[in-house]
Amino acid sequence: MMHISSILLFIMYFAALVAVSWCFTDMETGPGAALFSPPNGGDRFKIEGRAIVPGLKTQDWVSSARVLVEGEEYVGFLRTDGSFTVNDVPSGSYVVEIVSPTFRFEPVRVDITSKGKMRARLVNYIKTSEVIRQPYPLQIRASGPHSYFMKRETWGWTDFLMNPMVMMMVLPLLIIVLLPKVVNTNDPEMRKEMEQSMNMLSPNPELPDVSELMTKLFSGSKGSSKTSSSSSSSKGPRPAVKRR
Amino acid sequence: MAKLIFLWLKCLVSCCIVEAVFEDQVGKFDWRQQYVGKIRFSHFDSHVQSSKKVLMATEKNVFAALNTRTGELFWRHVDKTGPEGNIDAFLLHGQDALLVVGNGRLLRSWDISVGGLNWEVVLDSGSFQSACLIGQQDTVKHVAVLKKTVISVHYLSNGHQKWIENLPESENIDYQALYSGGNGEVYVLGIVPHSHIAIVVYSMEDGEIIKQTSVEAPWLSNIQTSCAVVGQGMITCVDSLTMSLYTLDMHTQSKMTQIPLQVCSYTNSKPYTKAELLIISNLNHDLKHCDYLVIYYLGCNTACSLSLFNAETGRRLLDTTQFLSIDPNVGKPESIYVQAFLKKDDSVSYRVLVQTEDHTLTFIHLPGRVMWTREEALSEVVTMEMVELPLTGTQAELEGEFGKKADGLLSMVLKRLSSQLILLQAWVSHLWKLFYDARKPRSQVKNEISIENLSRDEFNLQKMMVMVTASGKLFGIDSKTGSILWKQYLNNVPSNAAFKLMVQRTTAHFPHPPQCTLLIKDKDTGLATLHVFNPIFGKKSHITPPALTQPILQSLMLPLMDQDYAKVLLLIDDQYKVTAFPSSKNVLQQLQETASFIFFYLMDSSQGRLSGYRLRMDLSTEQIWEVIIPTEIQKVVTVKGKRSNEHVHSQGRVMGDRSVLYKYLNPNLLAVVTESTDVHQERSFIGILLIDGVTGRIIHEAVQRKAKGPVHVVHSENWVVYEYWSTKSRRNEFSVIELYEGMELYNSTVFSSLDRPHAPHVLQQSYIFPSAISAMEATLTEKGITSRHLLIGLPSGGILSLPKMFLDPRRPEIVSEQSREENLIPYAPELLIRTEWFINYNQSVSRVRGIHTAPSGLESTCLVVAYGLDIYQTRVYPSKQFDVLKDDYDYMLISSVLFALFFATMISKRLAEVKLLNRAWR
Repeated sequence: MMHISSILLFIMYFAALVAVSWCFTDMETGPGAALFSPPNGGDRFKIEGRAIVPGLKTQDWVSSARVLVEGEEYVGFLRTDGSFTVNDVPSGSYVVEIVSPTFRFEPVRVDITSKGKMRARLVNYIKTSEVIRQPYPLQIRASGPHSYFMKRETWGWTDFLMNPMVMMMVLPLLIIVLLPKVVNTNDPEMRKEMEQSMNMLSPNPELPDVSELMTKLFSGSKGSSKTSSSSSSSKGPRPAVKRR
Repeated sequence: MAKLIFLWLKCLVSCCIVEAVFEDQVGKFDWRQQYVGKIRFSHFDSHVQSSKKVLMATEKNVFAALNTRTGELFWRHVDKTGPEGNIDAFLLHGQDALLVVGNGRLLRSWDISVGGLNWEVVLDSGSFQSACLIGQQDTVKHVAVLKKTVISVHYLSNGHQKWIENLPESENIDYQALYSGGNGEVYVLGIVPHSHIAIVVYSMEDGEIIKQTSVEAPWLSNIQTSCAVVGQGMITCVDSLTMSLYTLDMHTQSKMTQIPLQVCSYTNSKPYTKAELLIISNLNHDLKHCDYLVIYYLGCNTACSLSLFNAETGRRLLDTTQFLSIDPNVGKPESIYVQAFLKKDDSVSYRVLVQTEDHTLTFIHLPGRVMWTREEALSEVVTMEMVELPLTGTQAELEGEFGKKADGLLSMVLKRLSSQLILLQAWVSHLWKLFYDARKPRSQVKNEISIENLSRDEFNLQKMMVMVTASGKLFGIDSKTGSILWKQYLNNVPSNAAFKLMVQRTTAHFPHPPQCTLLIKDKDTGLATLHVFNPIFGKKSHITPPALTQPILQSLMLPLMDQDYAKVLLLIDDQYKVTAFPSSKNVLQQLQETASFIFFYLMDSSQGRLSGYRLRMDLSTEQIWEVIIPTEIQKVVTVKGKRSNEHVHSQGRVMGDRSVLYKYLNPNLLAVVTESTDVHQERSFIGILLIDGVTGRIIHEAVQRKAKGPVHVVHSENWVVYEYWSTKSRRNEFSVIELYEGMELYNSTVFSSLDRPHAPHVLQQSYIFPSAISAMEATLTEKGITSRHLLIGLPSGGILSLPKMFLDPRRPEIVSEQSREENLIPYAPELLIRTEWFINYNQSVSRVRGIHTAPSGLESTCLVVAYGLDIYQTRVYPSKQFDVLKDDYDYMLISSVLFALFFATMISKRLAEVKLLNRAWR
């Protein structure tokens, strides 16, 4: 007995499932297929809703706005109170958007079953089957004015000063100008300390000064050959290559 | 997490390359013109005495309100195209405008003061005949809609149906008109042609038939075209054969009375060809319950007269006749709309809105003063070209100096000096003009542009837009201001013509005038005519084009030029014979020499045959290849080649590892798009074929399953971008195909289709696009150095400038060091629409049908014209303005810095001198 009742229940459940799925497979019929049916052929439904722009009278924006269903497949107009109806829409799934040159409205996807059941959900182009319910009749609230323009870069002192190039220029300048004033160079102890630190910086004390090297290079090779060969090992191979 | 990083990267990238309009640039170099189309119904708003509105319902399914003083739009509502948005009837009552839309499917009521919808109801099916307002004791509360078999009455306040009744004997009698007096009765007028008029009277309250009568009228064939009801139930009909008015009082009479018309004194001997009757309705309150008719005659081809007639007596009112001269550039008047009003001295006067054959609207005040004109033909631009403006006389003289052969040193010097003098003079006069204008208030300064003072500007940014409209009217529009400089109406254009506009000679060859050729082809017969004209002045050229007796299949412009620098146009007829234009001896000789290099293709979409031909020496042709696309499975939608004026600057792309990936730049490549004939969403598909136009070799073939059109294609450089509707996921998708030769180029000096042994590498990637598309085009610049953008017209009215960078099949899914080096954006399935990328900010362009791009003299700048119902012109800078100073360049800052530095050096020099002196004294 128990067994039979459970089977019955299962059958009923299955039937319900089939009905539901049938309802929603029909909705898959795209608007294109509907185009070929005569206007009075299949059932036609209407999409209703209201558009709201907070803090603005409707007559100020209604005349420039339109309701577009799936591109320009179906077009609706806004009433003077901001509500709208798009008539003569066959069953299917549509993206409904309100188009206004001044205000931004989020699009909504509306599904209409062949029985005329409606539901609205968020538009998700990537996961098309995802359902996040929205109220139906539609309540579409403007999310602010469109931002069409870029801000011009205005010139300000802070921008100028915080510029990395300027910082790179100004900081060394400050060091050059201010350091000698802060550190007393006439103090012999200090001088000694500085010299020591300078020597610490250059690991090879025997390395000649660059300017010195350059003058020697250009003035003549006679006297310089001795020093150059003795001073740095890295300079060595080059003349050797030349000789070959 | 990875997704987040992706998103962040994407944002970063898109912020970097954002290219938008700055707010202070609004209207600086862009303009928009809004149109409504050819008028079908029009009413003047007589609700308020001082109203300035004229309402019109047009053949473009637009309902609009215009300002009668200026001709500008108050508001406009654009319905969907095609028969479903078709406006069948338009009634106006006070503040409410009633429209019957879509063959009697919808009844809409608009509030004309704000332009919002009051209500909209769906009517029962049935083909629409007529509609009328029903009055009762001077108030109008109902509207009646007559269909083929039924009549229904609706409340004016909310559109709800009051009653609906079937019409008696609707299979025999053709019910065509409705009338209601102010007494609560509805008169339905039906006709049995050439026999009698049937009148059925319904009670407004419950829809009962009160009376049924029939009136003999053997001369009448159609009520709607020749009859109207005036006054208190007076049917007035015009019989054009006998030139007389027939009247019938529906309440009392049962026979028509004939009134011969007194005709104004035309001395012309020609008989009047057409008489038409217009009734001024809704004048009852204004004009003391007496109606006036305006009758206009088209006497001959030069002028027509308008006058007011009294409806009761048929007498013409004095001082109301005016003559409209018919401009041959405009065509004959097609319909007129009259706004009659009482003047201060109680005499009747009127203004007329005249629509002519070329879809021009002219608003005329009684003594013949034109208040404004609108060129509604521009609402259906078919094709256009942008032609460079000519040099001025002085510029041309300077140019000429360099071209000439040297004739003696002294004369050269003299010429040089004289031309310099001319330049100086021009500069001085320019300065003087600037100074003179600066003193005047800004409103008075008019930048008058006429054809005479048109000249090329420094960077060639101002061009002449030559626009061809479906009505056969040609326009020359200044691209800087949008003013129409010339217009030419071709009155022998068939209604279903296809147009192709070609520039044969540009303005670069100075003594020779520029030359454009318009190929007008009748779509049914295939017969074509050529209209040769000067694109700067709009004048028809004296050159006689060849007479084309055979249907034309294909036309092509060759880069060859004749001795007058006109490019050669080849026309191939259905016998595969070739006609050349111009066909001088020089041209024929050149053609013989180069015939073996001239290939062309023919597309026969009805048979699905794409075939390639070669020109022979004797100007006959031979077929060299053929591709059959079976028509039972798929049909060819578009065949797209590359634009001939496109330049590609870089031969390849530098990769992350410093090697070069060479582009496959085949100038002969054709992109063929096919759609499946099976429209079922599971089986429909889109196919794209890349075919070499010379050899017929199929380079690549791609099929997009579960997709359908409409497909928009852009084919440029080495890429093809197309957009389609994915039926599976119900979204629009973009796909991009890029072709590469590989790491080395086969023959880097010249491309030959016949000698390319290696097939190119094909890369493809697809993206989701969150909107439908109405038109698509790629930007074009002078040398092709600037990066490319795609310009996409959206149904919302925006024109999106989408960087091609986002449509790059090399966008990696996983970011690597190399791809970052290459500046590739990581792949993301969805392309974003950012409103900052709208090049037309809030200037929406309705129903964009095409976007035309043209290079300017500046490499960074591309001129863009979007046309559809509106026309919008602007400039885009795909890689920002890298070759000119930005318009927000801070001259103040740089000059102040310069001055500061100058003074600093002066002061420090002085200080140094003082210091030196002091040291010397020490």
